[in-house]
Amino acid sequence: MDPRSLLEPGLRSPDLAPGSPSCEVYNGRVRASRPRLFVALDAASVSGGAVARSGDGYRFASHARMALPAGALAPSPFAANLARPAEVADALRELARELSVGAAPACLLLPDGVARLALVDVPADVTAQQYARFRIVPGLPYPAGEAVIDVMPLGPGRAVVAAVRRSIVEEYEAAAMRAGITQDRLDLTPLAAIAGLLREPGPRGGLTVDVVLGDAALCLAAHEAGTLRVLRNRRRDPGPDEARRLAEEVERTAVLAGDGAGTRIRVVGPGARGLLTSWRSRGGSAEPGWRSAGPANGVDAAELPWLGGAAG
Amino acid sequence: MSPERDFSSRPRSRRARPLDLGLLALGVAAVLLSGHAAVAAWSARARARARVDQTRRETEEAQSRARGLEGRPEPAEALAYRGLLTAEASPPRVLADLTALMPSDVRLDAVTLSYGEPLGVQVDVVARTASSYDLFLDRLQRSPLFASVLPGEENRDGELRTSIQMAYRPPGAR
Repeated sequence: MDPRSLLEPGLRSPDLAPGSPSCEVYNGRVRASRPRLFVALDAASVSGGAVARSGDGYRFASHARMALPAGALAPSPFAANLARPAEVADALRELARELSVGAAPACLLLPDGVARLALVDVPADVTAQQYARFRIVPGLPYPAGEAVIDVMPLGPGRAVVAAVRRSIVEEYEAAAMRAGITQDRLDLTPLAAIAGLLREPGPRGGLTVDVVLGDAALCLAAHEAGTLRVLRNRRRDPGPDEARRLAEEVERTAVLAGDGAGTRIRVVGPGARGLLTSWRSRGGSAEPGWRSAGPANGVDAAELPWLGGAAG
Repeated sequence: MSPERDFSSRPRSRRARPLDLGLLALGVAAVLLSGHAAVAAWSARARARARVDQTRRETEEAQSRARGLEGRPEPAEALAYRGLLTAEASPPRVLADLTALMPSDVRLDAVTLSYGEPLGVQVDVVARTASSYDLFLDRLQRSPLFASVLPGEENRDGELRTSIQMAYRPPGAR
């Protein structure tokens, strides 16, 4: 079946290759669960769509990506992120128009590199939120009152906690509002990705290291039998030898998690396809963290880390 | 802990999910049900209090009558008749004559014997079925040992409960 036959009337046909710097649009029909709308921002682009989790991957009801001018958005945990807010708002407005968002509420996803993340063992007598304040607030490079904190529970006594500076959250919210996007909630792309990947630990036993790429930062999450053992968050340093350095980081993460051999590696995020190609050319074995279910029409699901948000 | 992460600077109030609405409906139903139960219990309490007051009044009247009777001098003839009654109509005898007439699914909850002229008997009866009660009443009315059988008001809510007043005529007094 020609995927173009599934296009909703009134929306532009996809005619750009994956990873195209300007725009990708795809509108299909979701047959499984109800799709949820996501709008994600990162240094190089804004992207989003209505996505539903299906049995064997993610099904797109719609998807679009708008490139951002270089330097318009620079993810940082304490400095202003939107150097040129008007250009970011313009890209978001164009994205919303391509997705025919209208007044539908969207989950806004902030890029990797804006939050302080930590994997913590939560004592029994406090909530994860309270313990998060105790553990990560003192180390933040801004006053405690400016921290917006939430947690990703991982079962009894264990959670990933994250803190974002309120002024930075407000920057993104203002840009979305300026673009006419109705904000439902606000999440962090790396947390959404890790949550989605943890829901599918895979058919094999043993250790898995998930690499969640962002334009400015990346996360390495090592887990075994559904239990997250190590979480690392680093700035990216793109360059010709990034693939080699990331392979070493994956190895370090596996060793930290207590198993340096036979590790399964999955990658999602912008640049995932290139990283996988590079690793395979050197004899490594890694796989995309997730795939599209059904006709994706040029959308490479592995390049979209925020898809994990649709797994819940 | 929020069910879904939200780092918004001003977190939005969430739209109610079907589960939330279901729980809300259950809560409203529980409140209505408990309100209805409270009203019903209040009414039952008022009815019970009225019954208690009525019983208390009746008891006081009965005690007053008893005191009046006790203070009245008894004639010699009456004393002789009472002696005859206690000899020929002892409580076990009266009870035995009474139970001999009772069908198997009728029972007595209380028996009051008033020794005088005649010997008054009042019984509180519980019958499993109305037909059993009717049979008991018929046997009482046909029996030469009992006279002036006067059935009381019947309560047919589930079991049949009522009281019967009658006079006992011992064989020697006929």
